[in-house]
Amino acid sequence: MILHIYKLIWNKKKQNFLLMLELFVSFIVLFVVFFNLLGFYNLYNTPRGFEYRNVWSVNYGLPAEIKSRDSIAAQIKILKNIILSMPQVAGVSFSSVNVPYSSNEISNSVGYKGKEVMSSMYMTDQEYAKVLQLKMLAGNWSPSKRRGSTAVVINKMLKEKLFGAENAIGKRFNSGGSEDLVVTGIVDNTKLTGDYRSLENVLFKVLDTVGRDEGIILIRVRPDADAAFESHLYKIVSNFSKNTNVEIEHLEKKRIVRNNFILVPFILVFSVAAFLIINVALGIFGVLWYNINRRRSEIGLRRAAGASGKAISMQITGEALILSTISLLAGLFFAIQFPLLGVGDVSAKVYLLAIGFSVIFIYLLVIVCSVYPAKQAASVYPADALRED
Amino acid sequence: MIRLENIEKLYRTDTIETIALDRISLNIEKGEFLSVMGPSGCGKSTLLNIMGLLDAPTKGEVKIDQQTLTHLSDKQLARFRNQKIGFIFQSFHLINDLRVLDNAELPLLYRNITSKERIRLATEALEKVGLSNRIKHFPSQLSGGQKQRVAIARAIAGNPEIILADEPTGNLDSAMGNEIMDILLQLNRAEKATIVMVTHDETMAKKTHRLVRLFDGSQVQ
Ligand SMILES: Nc1ncnc2c1ncn2[C@@H]1O[C@H](COP(=O)(O)OP(=O)(O)O)[C@@H](O)[C@H]1O
Ligand SMILES: [Mg+2]
Repeated sequence: MILHIYKLIWNKKKQNFLLMLELFVSFIVLFVVFFNLLGFYNLYNTPRGFEYRNVWSVNYGLPAEIKSRDSIAAQIKILKNIILSMPQVAGVSFSSVNVPYSSNEISNSVGYKGKEVMSSMYMTDQEYAKVLQLKMLAGNWSPSKRRGSTAVVINKMLKEKLFGAENAIGKRFNSGGSEDLVVTGIVDNTKLTGDYRSLENVLFKVLDTVGRDEGIILIRVRPDADAAFESHLYKIVSNFSKNTNVEIEHLEKKRIVRNNFILVPFILVFSVAAFLIINVALGIFGVLWYNINRRRSEIGLRRAAGASGKAISMQITGEALILSTISLLAGLFFAIQFPLLGVGDVSAKVYLLAIGFSVIFIYLLVIVCSVYPAKQAASVYPADALRED
Repeated sequence: MIRLENIEKLYRTDTIETIALDRISLNIEKGEFLSVMGPSGCGKSTLLNIMGLLDAPTKGEVKIDQQTLTHLSDKQLARFRNQKIGFIFQSFHLINDLRVLDNAELPLLYRNITSKERIRLATEALEKVGLSNRIKHFPSQLSGGQKQRVAIARAIAGNPEIILADEPTGNLDSAMGNEIMDILLQLNRAEKATIVMVTHDETMAKKTHRLVRLFDGSQVQ
């Protein structure tokens, strides 16, 4: 019977071509969608590596008339102590503008023994790890005691890329070909730039004294920090900054904005894909439905030749399934090229899952779309279908 | 072989009620070749469809081989048609997207046999109607007479005991019609097939064993 149906489809290949093309394109689109969804799901499930709740980021500036390095450092120390003295504050750290969930990114190449990789860079002070509750895996978060070299804490990923299995603590490497860095600690991987961003190489410079460039204060507040406290904080920092603009943001909100920034384009793409799939479903339904009416005499004849109503409906569904199998085989041929080409460094499991989900989805779609036409075909009354006036 | 007892068939629509068959009783012997005649719309096709279990009578009973068939399920009826009955129609009803051989083996698809056996039986049937050199053709590449011969091959491929032919020569010129008639006569003689044929042609009807005339749903001869 399968061979028989296959012959029917093959001999009607011209009429079926468009439908097969639609199914083929749907499969590819579904594959891409599932692939991305699984990617997002995996990223979402990757541990964040830090705690964003109850952290505020305060964008401030020092008055322009303060010029010397020493007086800047002194002013910052005063500000830090003022903030720390407030009962709602649990920790204060100064950071470069690329705080978590900001759209600013700073990166540079780093090298060790001829190896050269790109890494994100964060300029921080000694309190940074405490404020963001980063998870230290080894070493500690403290500035370098040696003049001329900067202490850095690197994440697990960068550690593995540069040093492999070696012990990295105390190792010296360079940034941008010249700057001398020394590893004092290793932290777990973090998703500082958004929940749906893949992990990247990260290094944190632990500065002894921060300056104007570290223009953002990260404050870990206690849960009782309210709007009144926020306006109090605002006044104090504004007073201190004189006429520069002060802005207080909550990482909780920044996170949502940042995630949406990444997700919204994909949601748009997914919506277009969903629209396409709905169209294809209607197309399959329409073609099957139209065929039932065109093939009434064939159905009548098959009934006369001994087909039961059920056999007829199974044939209609069978035809749709064989048609989709042909399209799926063509689609698989292309889908398999992706891992062969080595696109991205996603695991084979994700590819196979995406392919599996797409195949199941197409089959389910086709079965659902053929249920009603198949039922209709089964109920064609043979004596009527064979009438020839 | 086939026994009809007081068959009545009513078609009801919203506005009109048609009595297509009015108390028809018929007994057709095994190996008999019966022809049915009558004006258009008198119920000939309806009668054939009821005999062939494609349509149910409003009243009365159909028995084939002493078996009452009025209360069988859809599946059982389908099985019965498949085993016992071959149909031939005026307009052939071939599946245009299938080659001659695939058309001829159609009833065999609904039996539990191997594809090898199907091909053997279908080829044999095509040989009987003289079409063994056309098995790879599509119906569109055949003449009307050849198409009807494919339809006959399809009807006999499963070796049914009964052949029901509804105006099998109605769409053919007289030469082709005679060829078809000869094949049916041969099947009746050589294979002892029980045949019921609807026809408008007196000379063909005369070649059969018995003639039944219908008029407005009633049997008049
Ligand atoms: N499905 C139907 N609904 C209503 N009337 C029908 C239907 N089928 C047949 N008839 C009517 O029943 C009568 C007999 O039809 P039919 O058996 O096809 O006649 P014949 O084959 O002798 O030309 C006709 O009057 C026809 O119009
Ligand atoms: Mg008729």
